Amino acid sequence: MIDRFRQGFQEEARELLRDLEAALLELDQKRDDPEVVGRAFRALHTIKGSGAMFGFDNIAAFAHHLEAVFDQLRKGRLAATADLINLALAAGDQIKTMLDAAAGVAAADEERAARILLELRRVTGSSVTRPDTAPVPQAEAPAAKTGLSTEWLVRFRPGPDVILNGTNPLLLLNELRELGPLQVQIDTTGIPPLGELDPERCYVGWDMVLTTAAGREAIRDVFIFIEDDCELRIEPAAGDGRQTPAPVTTAVTRNSGSIRGNHASAGASSIRVSAEKLDQLVNLVGELVTVQARLSELSARRDDPDILAVSEEIDRLTAELRENSMSIRMLPLRDTFERFRRLVHDLGIELHKEASLAVEGADTELDKTVIDQLNDPLVHLIRNSMDHGVEAPDTRRAAGKNPTATIRLSALHSGAQVLIRVSDDGRGLDVQAVRARAIEQGLIDASAQLSESELFSLILAPGFSTAREVTGVSGRGVGMDVVRRSVEALHGVIEISSRPGAGLTVTLRLPLTLAIIDGLLVRVGHAYFILPLASSLECVELTQQDIQNAHGNHLATVRGETIPYIRLSECFAMETPPPEREQIMVVDTGEGHCGLVVDEVLGNHQTVIKNLGRLYRDVPMVSGATILGNGTVALILDPHRLVQNVVHAASQNTRSDSRKSRRNLTIPNQPSAQTDAFQQKDNRTNVT
Amino acid sequence: MAKVILTVDDSASIRQMVHFTLSDAGYTVIEAVDGKDALAKLTGPVNLVITDLNMPNLDGIGLIRSLRANPACKGLPIIMLTTESQESRKQEGKTAGATGWIVKPFTKQQMLAVVKRIIG
Repeated sequence: MIDRFRQGFQEEARELLRDLEAALLELDQKRDDPEVVGRAFRALHTIKGSGAMFGFDNIAAFAHHLEAVFDQLRKGRLAATADLINLALAAGDQIKTMLDAAAGVAAADEERAARILLELRRVTGSSVTRPDTAPVPQAEAPAAKTGLSTEWLVRFRPGPDVILNGTNPLLLLNELRELGPLQVQIDTTGIPPLGELDPERCYVGWDMVLTTAAGREAIRDVFIFIEDDCELRIEPAAGDGRQTPAPVTTAVTRNSGSIRGNHASAGASSIRVSAEKLDQLVNLVGELVTVQARLSELSARRDDPDILAVSEEIDRLTAELRENSMSIRMLPLRDTFERFRRLVHDLGIELHKEASLAVEGADTELDKTVIDQLNDPLVHLIRNSMDHGVEAPDTRRAAGKNPTATIRLSALHSGAQVLIRVSDDGRGLDVQAVRARAIEQGLIDASAQLSESELFSLILAPGFSTAREVTGVSGRGVGMDVVRRSVEALHGVIEISSRPGAGLTVTLRLPLTLAIIDGLLVRVGHAYFILPLASSLECVELTQQDIQNAHGNHLATVRGETIPYIRLSECFAMETPPPEREQIMVVDTGEGHCGLVVDEVLGNHQTVIKNLGRLYRDVPMVSGATILGNGTVALILDPHRLVQNVVHAASQNTRSDSRKSRRNLTIPNQPSAQTDAFQQKDNRTNVT
Repeated sequence: MAKVILTVDDSASIRQMVHFTLSDAGYTVIEAVDGKDALAKLTGPVNLVITDLNMPNLDGIGLIRSLRANPACKGLPIIMLTTESQESRKQEGKTAGATGWIVKPFTKQQMLAVVKRIIG
């Protein structure tokens, strides 16, 4: 049981350390803000108090020194200097290592702790942190029983207000009785006439004889809470003379343990569950969803209304179960984002640059697995921005910018995806330098014609770096490649945009979850595909009218809007004749609407995402696969990348062979013509 | 009818420990994360309040004061959790009207003894 509490403390302390860190970093911005100092103090105070409670004595002792310093800050006797804040940050880290050590993960560096305390004493220049005030357990146990009982005369006259302050004197008498046999005599002489009597005041007193082996201190201890508020005399009874008050029956009834029994406890608002258990739960739900799909398939084939009813019921329940268990894993990005304040702060010191972190959309929720794997790429991106993007304060001033740069971290939902942006207001990417460097490194041909965004995406290539020198922070050319790989492992995409002198923005486009999604099942020929429901907008028929009106371009008019479309059968080179009636699924790619032409739209499908394995890692259009009820595999399409891919292929095509494609413009269903339509579309969306 | 105890602490681990110990001893426990939360949760009958002193929003002393200022909470027992180094805070709490106190760190037995002394 104690272990559970210790575990609870570990988790709580880590949270408090994060609070502490956030408060310290904020304090760095606005020195002497009493509210921020108060927050840091409270965090330390709780770490100390709870640490001592659950046996983390070294942590409690260490936190105590720090707490004392912040107490001085709080009282205005000390000013928050940069030195002090940095030291406090280091101390926070030390507590973290001590926690790790207690959890058996790492070894605590006691020397470092001592060094920090020494430094703390130097910085505060006082004896604020006396080393000897480590908390000591309270009240020693009642005096050891000698086995010899003595009689004590106890005279007790509670003050008139004790009841108002919540003390019930009778309970104190009960407690005395637990020490040994007790004779009680009430003194009612203080009770005023009825007219003057205030029923909420205490007018009576008691004289008692207690026979006990416990000492005077143990008896006094019973009255400790009201000793300032009552008249209390404790004397040993004269040895032989039994000068006891006449034994009286008192109204005091022993309040025996009637309290036991009802275990109903008011609900705690939340519980902690290990992430592993959640993963297990989601995996099981995933299996359940797959089996359920088989059940609906079977029941549909049997056409037995009873089985059908049960199957539908289970279908509904599974969907609810899935939604619930998935939502458990969704976490706001706040913690992840806030953690980077420290990184920006530390990097600023290391690189002699001034920067602050602005966070937007920190409440955006994302699957825990995704969040966990997001840390490294974000670290790389921020380092990159700090090192390459942000200029030195003097340079910034000269350029008419605020000497303190802003690194902006933002998150927002877009269909089934979350967009995470890291942007800075630094010097931005130099397109020509990127190009020159890429040619130098043999990544592109000197004569290659590349669009700006294509050039920018080159910096994601392994080994690419425009930095002239390698710094301790970045420039070894590993960073962006790592970012690309980890984001791709999450089925995400990276987009880069930059304006010279105005900064760089890197957008990570990530799926909301990696486990189960709501999908739309469609069929093309004999193949099944899943489209994420969140990015599917509507389904319309592709009419002959549309095809004729478009004069060979792949354009359809949906509700007055002209939408380009892609034939999936062409996209995947499937040689099946198109059915008489084709369907267009209108999807939101995040950059505008686009239609995907399929043979048939089959309907909703709870989709358990299975990875395709390493072999298909470089197939960008497909984000995974799922197993249908009848055992068939359906590929899960990523509409955004599908469209991007087709546009990209088309632009390659037109560039290498522009004349031919121009001539082909009027010929229906030629790939180049089709993709020209996309380019028009693309241009349009870029303009608007 | 089990006695109801409201535990007020911004530390989840302390709340958990208090909650567990007291509910194991047969009390019904309500948790609050700070003074403000505690005041909001004092809707039904409560037999005892156990409060930490250092808390955000409304601290323990403030909570004790507002409880004592409320006629409905006259005579409501209040235990404060203090630390060794908080002698002045303890005095402040007593003046504000706290019934008793427990000094951190404490054991389950110590806490149960104090609770029993105050509400039986």
